[in-house]
Amino acid sequence: MSEFHDVYPDYEGLAHHDEATGKKVRRKLWNVFWLLLAVTIIEVIVGLYAKDWGLGKTFLKLFFIGFTLLKAGYIVMVFMHLKDENKWTKWVILIPYGVFIGYLILMMTIGEGNYTSGHRLNGLGTTDGQTGTTGMQHTEADHGHEHGEGEGEHQH
Amino acid sequence: MAGSTAELDAKYASWDGAMSPMRTSYGKLFMWFFLVSDALTFSGFLCAYGFFRHNFEGEWPDPQAVFHHFPFLHGVHLPLMYVGLMTFILIMSSVTMVLAVEAGHRNYRKGVLIWMFLTIIGGFMFVGSQAWEWYNFIKGSDNGAILYNKEIYTYDVNHETHETNKTVLWYHGTKLTTEQSAAVISKGEPFYGANLQYNEYGHSAFADFFFFITGFHGFHVFSGVIINLCIFLMALNGYMKRVGHYEMVEKVGLYWHFVDLVWVFVFTFFYLL
Repeated sequence: MSEFHDVYPDYEGLAHHDEATGKKVRRKLWNVFWLLLAVTIIEVIVGLYAKDWGLGKTFLKLFFIGFTLLKAGYIVMVFMHLKDENKWTKWVILIPYGVFIGYLILMMTIGEGNYTSGHRLNGLGTTDGQTGTTGMQHTEADHGHEHGEGEGEHQH
Repeated sequence: MAGSTAELDAKYASWDGAMSPMRTSYGKLFMWFFLVSDALTFSGFLCAYGFFRHNFEGEWPDPQAVFHHFPFLHGVHLPLMYVGLMTFILIMSSVTMVLAVEAGHRNYRKGVLIWMFLTIIGGFMFVGSQAWEWYNFIKGSDNGAILYNKEIYTYDVNHETHETNKTVLWYHGTKLTTEQSAAVISKGEPFYGANLQYNEYGHSAFADFFFFITGFHGFHVFSGVIINLCIFLMALNGYMKRVGHYEMVEKVGLYWHFVDLVWVFVFTFFYLL
């Protein structure tokens, strides 16, 4: 046969198929492509007209994230052939990722995100540590105080 | 006791590389492990993005007000069109990649070469589009913003007409009065575009995350194109024909699909939401 099969006669990992199977596989791949394209077009249209149609923020978040997960599922399962791998290969890949992403989303992003947004971190991610407090004084300035003077005080 | 040595030999031979773990080839399995770790890196970035965005909801720029350019159509407001095109290019190159893998499964060298070549073209197109997107973001809008006392004050923009009102400013999600705005405009100076410190469209973390995440993704695309090119040249040289299989195409295909997968999420979180 060839060099590789001489050295490793029992190597099991290689995927092979004949022309007849290939035809079916190709049709399936193109179908998935059309599906991904259709989903992307729907996402773009909804993204463009969401404000005009008055769609709610929570609905949009769930809508976009749901469609994104659908696309991701098709890419991983069909394009990356994870569906065709054996059972334990699938679990060895999906379980560790699932555990960590669950922690990241639930504990860090949603849990901590809600905590800090309630407490309004001063200066987080701004160029100047003072901005958090400066922003507060602006809001106060809007409620009556002369803004121009307040602005001058911050220059030192 | 008969044959016990032979049985032991057969049992432990599987630990010496005679058999792949879980009957998946070593190369593919370890590419998957790498991709899991890389996926967690990207997940960490996107979660950090979500965390910041949630904290600064009021002053976070509207992506459709930032990215609305299209080549040769200056001044026309076309949000999501260019990035939609980029997404199409990447999905398309994902299909050509998986078709190259399929051709490899049939040991059909010509098919592998054609589809790999198209994948490489698509990859270069995507990297170029990414560069153009960065260029527009760094260059900024025609109106810009006001930089005063190391802070960005953004102009009031009508979300219906996309017209900019240059007499009213916003500061950290708070609308200033006309008098306050006039004072800031007279003391400050105009600022255009975005860098790692200031962002004319709003919160600086938006620009930081944009540069960092799309930059990291763009670097993945770029390295993917280079690896694809190497595999393409190996197939052209007849290396895969000599070894008798095209599994390398399958492995680099996994990486390339992963890059597409990450873009699906970047597209949603940066442009749609």
